[in-house]
Amino acid sequence: MFDTQTISLGIEILAATILVTTFLIVSSRSLMFYVRLFAIQSFLLGLVALLVAVGFGETHILIAAILTIVVKATVIPIALSKVIDKIKVRKEIDFTINITTSLLLCALLVILADSVARPILEAQRMSDLAVFKVLPMSIAVMMIGLFIMIARKQAVSQIIGLLTMENGVFLSGLSITYGMPLIVEVGIFFDIFVAVLILGVFVFRINQTFDTINVDTIRRLRH
Amino acid sequence: MIEFASTFIVSAIQILLMLLATPLVCGIIRKTKARLQNRRGATIFQPYLDLSKLMRKEVIIPSTSSWIFRITPYVVLASMLLIALLVPTIFAPVPFHWMGDIITIIYLFAAARFFLALGGLDAGSAFGGLGSSREMSIASIVEPAMMLAVFTTAVTAGSTDLSIIVNRLSTTQASIIHPSHVLAFAGLFIVTIAETGRLPVDNPGTHLELTMIHEAMILEYSGRYLAFLELASQMKLLIFLSLLANMFAPVGMAIDTAPLSLIVGVAAFILKVAILAIVVALVETANAKLRLFRVPELLMVAFVLSLLALILYSIIGS
Amino acid sequence: MGYSLALPGFYFALLIGGFSFGAVVSLFFVRSNNANELTSQFVIRLGKNLGFGFSTLASLGGCALSLSVLLAGSPYQLEFGRTLPFGPLSINIDQLAAFFLAVISFLGIAVSIYSFGYTNEFVGRRNIAVFVFLYNVFLLSMALVVMAGNAILFLIVWEVMSVTTYFLIIYEHEDSSSRKAGILYIVMTHIGTALLLVMFITLAGFAHSFSFEAFRHVRTQIPPSVNTWIFLCALVGFGMKAGIVPLHIWLPEAHPAAPSNVSALMSGVMIKMGIYGMVRVFFDFLAPGPEWWGILVLFIAVASAVLGVLYALMEHDLKRLLAFHSIENIGIILMGIGAALLFSSFGSKTLAAVALLAGLYHVLNHAMFKGLLFLGAGSVVHATHTRNIDELGGLAKKLPWTMFFFLIGSAAISALPPLNGFISEWLTFQALLLGFDIPDLAVRLAVPVTVALLALTGALAAACFVKAFGVTFLGLPRSAHAEKAHESSFSMLFAMGILALACVAFGIAPGIMISLISRVTSSFFGESGSALSVLNVGTLTIPRGAGSGVSPLMLLSLLAGLIIAPIVVGFVLAGKIRTRTAMIWAGGLEKVEPRMQYTAAGFSKPIRMIFSNIFRATHEIEISEEMSAFYKPQIRYELKTESIFQKYLYAPVRQTTIAAAKIVRRIQTGHIQSYLAYIFITLILLLLFAR
Repeated sequence: MFDTQTISLGIEILAATILVTTFLIVSSRSLMFYVRLFAIQSFLLGLVALLVAVGFGETHILIAAILTIVVKATVIPIALSKVIDKIKVRKEIDFTINITTSLLLCALLVILADSVARPILEAQRMSDLAVFKVLPMSIAVMMIGLFIMIARKQAVSQIIGLLTMENGVFLSGLSITYGMPLIVEVGIFFDIFVAVLILGVFVFRINQTFDTINVDTIRRLRH
Repeated sequence: MIEFASTFIVSAIQILLMLLATPLVCGIIRKTKARLQNRRGATIFQPYLDLSKLMRKEVIIPSTSSWIFRITPYVVLASMLLIALLVPTIFAPVPFHWMGDIITIIYLFAAARFFLALGGLDAGSAFGGLGSSREMSIASIVEPAMMLAVFTTAVTAGSTDLSIIVNRLSTTQASIIHPSHVLAFAGLFIVTIAETGRLPVDNPGTHLELTMIHEAMILEYSGRYLAFLELASQMKLLIFLSLLANMFAPVGMAIDTAPLSLIVGVAAFILKVAILAIVVALVETANAKLRLFRVPELLMVAFVLSLLALILYSIIGS
Repeated sequence: MGYSLALPGFYFALLIGGFSFGAVVSLFFVRSNNANELTSQFVIRLGKNLGFGFSTLASLGGCALSLSVLLAGSPYQLEFGRTLPFGPLSINIDQLAAFFLAVISFLGIAVSIYSFGYTNEFVGRRNIAVFVFLYNVFLLSMALVVMAGNAILFLIVWEVMSVTTYFLIIYEHEDSSSRKAGILYIVMTHIGTALLLVMFITLAGFAHSFSFEAFRHVRTQIPPSVNTWIFLCALVGFGMKAGIVPLHIWLPEAHPAAPSNVSALMSGVMIKMGIYGMVRVFFDFLAPGPEWWGILVLFIAVASAVLGVLYALMEHDLKRLLAFHSIENIGIILMGIGAALLFSSFGSKTLAAVALLAGLYHVLNHAMFKGLLFLGAGSVVHATHTRNIDELGGLAKKLPWTMFFFLIGSAAISALPPLNGFISEWLTFQALLLGFDIPDLAVRLAVPVTVALLALTGALAAACFVKAFGVTFLGLPRSAHAEKAHESSFSMLFAMGILALACVAFGIAPGIMISLISRVTSSFFGESGSALSVLNVGTLTIPRGAGSGVSPLMLLSLLAGLIIAPIVVGFVLAGKIRTRTAMIWAGGLEKVEPRMQYTAAGFSKPIRMIFSNIFRATHEIEISEEMSAFYKPQIRYELKTESIFQKYLYAPVRQTTIAAAKIVRRIQTGHIQSYLAYIFITLILLLLFAR
């Protein structure tokens, strides 16, 4: 239908858009906005998987693509926005690291991700252009996900960070091997899904107990 | 000699088309916003009517002002018209493309802004100073972001000449498009929102001192001067939309002067600008005005994205 | 050569003779200070005018000399004093020297003319004869710095330059801040000179001579580690004079303290002597080095540019603001030089030539607009006796010409097209973008970051000059000083006019200067014609890649046409414009008051908030509640920004020095016997070592 080059280009562009959504998450302070951006990000990721599945004939990825779009781009965002509605916390107020600094640090992370990915790619002689461009970006998405968990204090942000990280993992998997074995993929999936459910319940409980979802307060449990 | 004359004629046509299309774009955005907010809204031709009314009205000149106040509308409008000559809309290269490249265009915007800010300070009112101060502060991040975003495409095409960039991107195969262009586009889109004074950075619809930026600067202007300034700011919007449309998606761009390709060029341009105008209206409707000191955070996103675009282009697989 | 009319010998004599006569002549006139008040004033005035007349003449000679060398293409050399222990003192005006001499002389002409009118207010109040003497010696020493052909002469005139500058800084010595600025300057500049001495001695060790010619011959024989040592000495030694971050702290103190005509020379040309030294050592004495040299210079350049402009934004003192902008512009110049170093270490001579050309063109342009701005600031201070822009305002009506020239200077420094600042920033951008041709990771990271911060600098500079110009000249007068201001004398306006014209001319006709400067760059990098070409109607083109160009002359003429068009079209469509002058709305009060205007501090507040990590501003608000809670007669607002360099670099150094000095003081016992013992011990040690 399409030649490999066009598909590669499509994947690259989608991956870059995913990176943009990740940066927008870092730049925002509204929890609802995080969730929406995450939904968009997951949807784009689903599209990448779809492209890989259709373009390179890897049919098992199709299942992963559909799962991504259904679960990550629809179910999880809806569940999270319900949680946000319930706990009535809409904004991230105080940060470990403020937004401007966060953005600059994330830019550094992208460069770091590139320098990490480069030797691997060069050692493997990956001549495929798409991998060359997408792998650094997916590693960057992973790192920024972890960064979000460090920089933000609200529990919902932590969940978003975790999910972003997982999206990065999936993207890098897609870019290197056109998808891991289906069983691994689905395994990770349910892992994440359960994690989100549990965390969602946690957030709700934390809020009930401490009247806040600021994870700083959990330190009080030590006493 | 004939070539020289045709250069001028083609340029004159470009300027006239831009001038005529400018209020329409503004009208489309207003209408779309109105529809999205369940209002009927004025006709999309309302901006023309507003401008023609302002043209006939008397100009009030503050007694405290100097000649800077009086030349500002002309300098600002002339800068925008000059940029309109340099930006490819329906065909590339534009006849005067050798006259100035993308750096020139950005600095011409800076020149217009410089005088606009001085015009704001000239009357000696608190509002003018407030507007000037905010405009210059926001521009101090927006301008570099814009420059980096366009440099990403410039480096891809191997030239800073806008016409050559557009020409190259539209004639060569898709392989020249790089993922970093997505980042640059996102950066330039935020820049567009900020530079043209749209929500959530500035609200073109209100005169509330807590929020206004552009409107505060031109608060003392009236009559024909205001008409010129309004036209200039609407024109800026059209220029930015053309930049977004033609630098990142030069589809359908006419690269010769055959009638068919010109018609395709016009159609493609109208379509692309209309889509972008509607997207701008959507963004404006979906977002509330940010607090002034939250704005830099948004602009930093544009700056970081554009910087990353340039860095990614330069280090990843180029 | 077809330039037989050019008489370099005569021009050289005019240059040296003019400054020397100028220096001495006014000293004679001050002696005859025995008649009555009026005649003595007349005599002093005559002496001073003669002095400035000679300096104008000498500067003209310098201009002619440099042009004749640049056009002839062969250096002008002179040697004298063959019996000196360090070899002859030689004068060697090559292309690079001629270019810098042109900058010095051109600004020298304008400032000398300005000084006729400007120094009138000193007559009868200060020792003007000494001022004229120092002024001439200062200009002469700068000219000799660039003309020196060997290290000893160079160091001597470098030192003369530093010392005369010191005396000029403390010319208004009753002001304690001037004295403090002077001390800071003289200490810093001597640290720099010490490093230069070390550098020259190292070079001489290889060349077995102090002549620059000999240094050039051994450039390929110096081992890399020594090369690096020389590079670092030159960078810090000359950087001290140029005012690079973090060695800049003397600059914002010293430049405003001097009289404005001297400030113009200091900012316009004296700090460029540091740049001259760097270019001389980096490209003339040293072979292309490792790439980290270029990266280091770019890093310093970026830091100087961004921090310079950010600190300038926080200033309300007009001259300090301009001084901080000098740091910024040194940063922009160094971007060109750093890029040239970087490119030449990869062997790309063409790219290096463009980058160096951008840097040198900015040297010239900065001299023009910064000179103009300092002269303009001098006019303002002259008229209002205050440098605080929050006390100014509304000067547009009182000083219309000064305002017009200051506007041109502000537009030029903000790099607005089609003025000269724009052209050199354009060239710098192009030079940096050419770096994408080099397939090296470090370059490809350094270049985008430099480009980003250069763009940031440009935008911030525009913001700063909207503030400086707007608050000073527009709106309503904020104090009685500003209300009683008067326009400056003709000679001052004439001088500013020359520089304003230069700002426009070097902008719309860059071809002329660029063809001259490319003679300088081709003396280092060979013929570099393909890197940059100048076409008709002043179109500047970079033919590399797909080509990109700019034509400032066309831009200006079209801009003029497009300014007229709306006037005509408006007239045709809607008839004649009707205007009415009225008072603006004053928030319900009877008339608008100056207090309602935005202040300089208010103007830059958003930027202070955005960059709060750098400024670390603290403010204090004090409200005296005397009448009632609702009417507050007095509100005091004080704002302090903290210099990160003062706190984290200089304060520790100073404390360590003082602590060390306290330890060393112990050997100062005060007994003559112990001093004799020291001498004796030293003697014994020397004998032991010299065995």
